[in-house]
Amino acid sequence: MTAAAVAVERLEKTLGTNKVLRGVSFEAKPGEIFGLLGPNGAGKTTTLRIICTLLSPDAGTVEVMGFGTRKAPEEVRRRIGVVTADIGVYPRLSARENIEYLGRLCGLFGGELTRRVDGVMERLDMGSFAKQRAESLSSGQKQKVAIARAIVHDPDVLMFDEPTSNLDVLASKEVREFMVEAKGRGKCVIFSTHVMHDAERLCDHMTILHHGRVIASGSTDEVRGGRRDLEDSFLALVEAN
Amino acid sequence: MLPAWIVYRKELLEIVRDRRTLMAIGLAALVTPLVLIVVSQVSTRTATQTYTIGYSGEIPVGLDILLRATGLKLVTVADPSEAAKHEVDLGVAFLPAQIDEYFDPNRQSAQIADVRLQTVLGQYDAAQAAAALKSRGIDPGILTPMRLVSHPLSSPVQAASNAFLSFFLPYILITMILTGGFSAALDSSAGERERRTVESLLLTPAPRIQVLLGKIAAITTISLVAAVAAIGSMFVALTQIAIPGPGGSAGHIVLSPAAAPVMIWLALLIAMSFSALTLALGTLAKSFRQGQAYVTPLYFITILPASLILFIPDFNPSLAYYLIPILNAVLVLRDAIVHNTVAWPALGVTTISLLATGALSWFAAFRLFAREALLTRS
Repeated sequence: MTAAAVAVERLEKTLGTNKVLRGVSFEAKPGEIFGLLGPNGAGKTTTLRIICTLLSPDAGTVEVMGFGTRKAPEEVRRRIGVVTADIGVYPRLSARENIEYLGRLCGLFGGELTRRVDGVMERLDMGSFAKQRAESLSSGQKQKVAIARAIVHDPDVLMFDEPTSNLDVLASKEVREFMVEAKGRGKCVIFSTHVMHDAERLCDHMTILHHGRVIASGSTDEVRGGRRDLEDSFLALVEAN
Repeated sequence: MLPAWIVYRKELLEIVRDRRTLMAIGLAALVTPLVLIVVSQVSTRTATQTYTIGYSGEIPVGLDILLRATGLKLVTVADPSEAAKHEVDLGVAFLPAQIDEYFDPNRQSAQIADVRLQTVLGQYDAAQAAAALKSRGIDPGILTPMRLVSHPLSSPVQAASNAFLSFFLPYILITMILTGGFSAALDSSAGERERRTVESLLLTPAPRIQVLLGKIAAITTISLVAAVAAIGSMFVALTQIAIPGPGGSAGHIVLSPAAAPVMIWLALLIAMSFSALTLALGTLAKSFRQGQAYVTPLYFITILPASLILFIPDFNPSLAYYLIPILNAVLVLRDAIVHNTVAWPALGVTTISLLATGALSWFAAFRLFAREALLTRS
């Protein structure tokens, strides 16, 4: 049995007076796209932020490639790349400089950095705007910069938090294709979304969150549970909970 | 390569590409000499300007010549007290046994004319008394049994230069350090949060303390660059301004040798402390605009007490005053400029005070930068 790339166990988290997570557990393996689904406010983003060490859990544990987020947060961050819907790029740096900056902070230097940056830019077809300042890029181009800097250090785990919500159809398609490609290269891809259609097409396994609780978990077929599509199943589960 | 160094280089690159910061520094470098030249011209004009005395009655013989030589123009008026309100700078009624003087203390021109009149009358009285004694065969020297002979220990030109610098230099130094790094600090904290880049930065394995260190170092650098630009342009402008000295000589304003290293040391301490403080306040803000609202009062809180001290001549504070940040820097720098010496106990207390301020600000900035609310409050 393949060891989990990401193992989340009984996570609990309160933000302010709002109990956001109430014992969330799941495992995501290398070479699969794992869906983290749920309506807005279900706790998806908080879960991802705990996995990538930006937030600390009140209770429960997270391990990424065998490293605990509490004991070895820097080792965890070395092994993950995150792409979010809020595409924050440094406006006065060029597309290439944005990627190089984050690459350096991940420990890449000299020839290795150049090779990696060239590689991700080629893979994402960014040559035409590499030297352009990020402030003048389109949303799709900015999203490519965000993906490139998330993968420049070749992480084992890639997390996508609603990555297509601000993108047009073409840019969204490219992001989806990239996730499939990453899965093909043996990466563990965690895909957080409330778009059931995307999840059904892409995910191998998934967990559905609602009000901070896991209400369904398993393979895509198992979660669909014989219904016409995942959306029907999702609506039924949410209404039942 | 240290993460702090990587962050420092990137922050500097962004700063030099930021029009707001560059404009602030460029404006300071242009406006500072411009203000000095205007101030110099206004003070020169005030010193050489002719003021008008509206008078009635008979002017004592010879007094009119003395008054005209001192830049006081004489015009006859019917009612000196009325004329002194608006028409002339000073109203004077020459009566047989006394001189009545009318002036409005609210008018600066009246004050200057008054001082000139008092001086001229003093000289006139002394000359008249001396002439009367001489005509009676008495030595006029009895009027001054203890003759005062002045021996200035430094040149009057240097004293004037020191007075000028002790007033302007601390003010420009502190203002430029605060405002020079203002935009960069907010851009690096509140701006990073507003643009949503802070998340990607904190997702790297770089320790947060190093990220913060790089940011503070970059803001300190740009604050110092702003201060150097303003002070450099100020000294260039001062080479064009001559201070009149005794015997028609003239000199230029120069910084005393002791003041230069003191200024550099204080600038470094202030820049480091305030970079951390503005970064901490910026980290509290959710946007650049909100950051401005937090940081702007800081400028007034720090610069106002320090500025007020400059208007109190011969303020000799106890060592305890040197514990107050910014005020202590102003006082130490003023002493170094005026006396060309370093008061080591005062400098020591000032250094400790500014280092403590810096350390507390760094601690606050780190705590704020590491808190979860940085990401969860939007």
